[in-house]
This record gives sequence, structure tokens and C-alpha cells, in this order.
Amino acid sequence: MSTVAVWRKGARGLLAESTIAGPLATLIVVFILCWLFVPNFRSLRSISGIVSAATLTGTIAIGVTLLMISGEFDLSVGSLVAVGGYLYAFNTMDGGSPVVAVSLAILVPAALGALNGLILIWTRIPSFIVTLGTRSIYRGALWVLSTGALVETLEDLTIYDIFNGRLDVLSNLAEGANFRTSLLWLLGMVVIFQYVLTRTRYGNHVFAAGGNPAAAQAQGVNVKRLKVICFVISGALAGFTGILLFSQFKSVRVTTGAGIELSAIAAAVVGGALLSGGSGSIWGSLIGVLLISTLRTGVVLLDLPFIPADNFEAVVGVTIVGATILNSWVRRRS
Amino acid sequence: MDSMNANGHDTSVVRMENIVKRFGTVTALDGVDFTVNPREVVALVGDNGAGKSTLIKILTGVYTPTGGQIYFEGRPVQIRSPREARALGIETVYQDLALVNLMSITRNFFLGRELVSKIGLIRWLRLREMHAQTQTSLRDIGIEVRSPAEKVEKLSGGERQSIAIGRALHFGAKLLILDEPTSALSVAETRKVLTYTLNAKERGLSVIFITHNIHHVFMVADRYTLIRHGKLVGNYAKGELTHDDIADLITGARAS
Repeated sequence: MSTVAVWRKGARGLLAESTIAGPLATLIVVFILCWLFVPNFRSLRSISGIVSAATLTGTIAIGVTLLMISGEFDLSVGSLVAVGGYLYAFNTMDGGSPVVAVSLAILVPAALGALNGLILIWTRIPSFIVTLGTRSIYRGALWVLSTGALVETLEDLTIYDIFNGRLDVLSNLAEGANFRTSLLWLLGMVVIFQYVLTRTRYGNHVFAAGGNPAAAQAQGVNVKRLKVICFVISGALAGFTGILLFSQFKSVRVTTGAGIELSAIAAAVVGGALLSGGSGSIWGSLIGVLLISTLRTGVVLLDLPFIPADNFEAVVGVTIVGATILNSWVRRRS
Repeated sequence: MDSMNANGHDTSVVRMENIVKRFGTVTALDGVDFTVNPREVVALVGDNGAGKSTLIKILTGVYTPTGGQIYFEGRPVQIRSPREARALGIETVYQDLALVNLMSITRNFFLGRELVSKIGLIRWLRLREMHAQTQTSLRDIGIEVRSPAEKVEKLSGGERQSIAIGRALHFGAKLLILDEPTSALSVAETRKVLTYTLNAKERGLSVIFITHNIHHVFMVADRYTLIRHGKLVGNYAKGELTHDDIADLITGARAS
């Protein structure tokens, strides 16, 4: 075999083994195009903006990806971000205990996530429909309990800095750069959950439950219990995102986090997750979030007459469809 | 098919007595007796809907029988879940739900029985060791795979069946149940799967081979158990019947 052939075989093998090769290539190409052709893109300021805008959706996308691999959807995560945000806000402001605040903001959404999973198991209604319902129910309950009030604070607590303050080490590198500590939390979560997914028994069972539930069951995997656990993780991460969000913006309202579930699903799909389950990766979804964030910044900075800055959604839509076509092409070829 | 030895001791691997299964008002099995002896390949033959799957699902813990008794290696047992069946040494290879196509051979091989190390709360899969064991174990029964890290979706139907059989052998099955293992395979691949079935027998296992294709099973079966409309038609030793006899008995064109 010639060297070229060996190299090509190796490259194809790499594509076959790695589900993130396609998404990563797309991200790099888009980034280089923006770097070359978009005015004002070439600065640490815009790059830090891309990264910081990606951290909240990225944290949500971890749970959403886990569930998609197991063959389920969670559309209620956006509402759970608001639930987590309120619980955290109410309990940190005016001298509340940070431990209680963080615990409640994670445990309550986790319990609501469990409820999603239990409804799925008891009724056998597809999770897409179940969570489409609970998405409105959770936000509706929040509306009642919070009386719809916007909650904001001017307090500057240490806990806000810990969860999503300025990351001065990086931000001081350039004027206007705005890296935040949520980036570190996100990276930590990504590493942990990628490990869990690919290197533990639980992760192995998540892939099996999504890829072929009957085969998983026949090999002794408790598919129902596993799915409830996935919903609990997804809810807990949504609550955690609420913590990051309030720590950064110091305000939360009933509509906070609306639509973030769709961005997260889009990111997961761009990153190689299959809507039918059994495939996907946390790294891939992180790349998906970064790709969407890069395009958003690129389009805003381009300031095109026919695509106003607030119509970047259209561009994101084109990317999602394009990336999915590319992914399935790579999948077929490998 | 006398499973008692000279002392009147039960030597069978599995003996199902007078099994009844009703779903509501429908009687799927009406007092069926079924026995498998050590190192025996039993063909469980019957038309679609005859009750073959129901009988096997009772044996593998998927269904609970309405009536009857199961003995495993002479002891009365109740098999309440697939997990309990596996703990006894009953391994089933299903036609299409054996493997997860999007996962690697190794991950399929060890699914539900992963090798795990732990330090405190941190646990991890011993992937390298699982790859090595998968490769060795498959090679032992004559199956060569390019790489155990390869995804199952890249394999042919016959290769998938053989990996599922290899898995059952590796984990110390005493009784291997093959559910329509050849119905979707080419002639060449069918031949391979039949060879692995005989390999399993040589290694001391008993095999239940469920099929409605008598041609496939003619090569390997020591005995035929025929069921029709939820009732036992009869047990026949190898060579006792011709293809045509069996076909007539399956369809009920001739009474037993």
C-alpha cells in the first residue's frame, strides 16, 4: 500500500471512529471564513463574546444530548432554567444562604426532570409530547408562584463571581475581552459527562437504550430507570444553567430561558446526535453550540442589508440543515 | 427422549411440564411438555402463531406461565425475569434484537456485564481488556473480526448472529436458545451459523433452535419438538421423519 493510500485509509478510519470530525471541520471552516471576511471579527473581544454566549446553551446542551442519545427529548429545560434562576435569586438575595440557594436551584429542577421521566414511563406518551406539556406547566406554575415579577439585584456577592463573574486572567489579555467563569464550569461539565458517556457502564447503557431498547433490555439493562436518571441529570443541568444565568445578568423573569431548548437540540444535531437516538457526543454538541454562536456573531458583525442583526435565526436555520446533510453524508461514506 | 437415568434421577438440562399460558381469553399454550437434554440440539418447530415464541419467552423469564412447572437441571425453578434466566445459564440470541447496531462489537459483547474498575467513587470501563477478551473469545469459536472496536452496523447478518452466539458461549451459557437465527440469512451465512451451533454443542452446551424452516435445522438437530395451535404434536428423533413428514405435521395436513 502506498503512503497516500495508508494516509487515506487512516483518515477514513478516523472519520468512521469519530462522530465529531465532521462538525469540527465545519466549525473550523466557518471560523476561518469569518476571520478572513468579517470586519472586526479578528479580535479577542468578539471571540470572547462568541465563547461567553455559548456557555449557557452549552450547559443545557449536555443534558439534552445525553437524553437524545438515550432516545428521548426534553423540551422543558428552558422553563427549568427559569425555575432554577428564581430559586437561586430568591435565596441568595438579602443575605440568604448560598448553600441552600444552590441546592434548591439544582434539586427542584432535578425533581421536575424526574417527573418528566416518570410521566413518560407511566403513560408511554413520547417524551417530545410529555415535555412539550410540562414545558408550559412548569413555566405556568412559576408564573403563579412568582406572581410574574421580574427579580433583579444590585448586590455584588462572592457567589455570583464564583459562578459567572469576569474571568480576569483571560479577560485582561485584551481591551474589551469578556471571558467569564461560566466557561470553566462548562468545560468541567463537558469533561465529566463525556467521561461518563464513553467510559462508564452507565454511559454504555445510555447508548444501548437509545440504539436498540429491546436488545438493551434483553441484556439486563433497566431501560426505564436509566431514562428517568437521564431526565434527572437534564433537569439538574437546567437548574445549574439558571444559577449561571442569574449570576451573570443579576436578573431573572418568567420568560427567561425560553427557546434555549431548541438551540440546544440544534447544537446536538449539528454535533452529530441522531434524533432517533443511539448516537451523539458531548464534545460534538459543544462544537455545535460554538458553531451557532460563531455564525451569530459573524452575521451581526457583517451587518448585511438583507439580513438585519436580529434575523440571524435564519442563518442558524440554514446551518442546522446544512450541517445535518453533511453529517449524514460523512456517516454514509465512512 | 427419556430424561431419567437408571436411578430415576432427572438428567435433563431443562424440563417444562404441562405449561399453560393464557392472554385474557386466548389460550396460547395448552399444557405443553418440553425437555432438553445435555449436549442436545432440539429443534422447536411450528408454524407462525403455533406458540413457539410464547414457550420460549416463558423459559427466558419474559412471560410468567399461567400454569405448569419448570425444572432446570432437575431443580424446580421460577424464572421471573430475563436476568434470572441468564443467572441460571440460559442465553437467548434473538433474530433482530440481539445487538445494538450503532455500538462496537466489544461494547455489545459486554453489554450489561461490562468489566469495571473503581477507585472510591470513580469507576471506569476496562475497554482494552474487553477488546482483547472479545477478540480471543470470538477467535476460539472460529469467528474472525477485523477489529472488536468496529461498529456492528458494518457487519453482515450472519456475522451479527455469530457474535451474539459467541457472546452467549463466552458468558458460560448452559442452554443456548436461537430464535429464528437463519431466517434472514443467505445460504452461505446460514451454513456458518449452523456450524457455530454444532461448535456450541461440542463445547457441552444444549441448544434450542427455533425455526419454521425445517431445511436449515435438518443439518443440526438431534430431535424435533413440534407444536401446533398451542399444543404439543410430538417429539421425533433425528432420522425418524422426512422433510415432508415434518411439513405435514407443522401445517396439520396429517395428524400425529
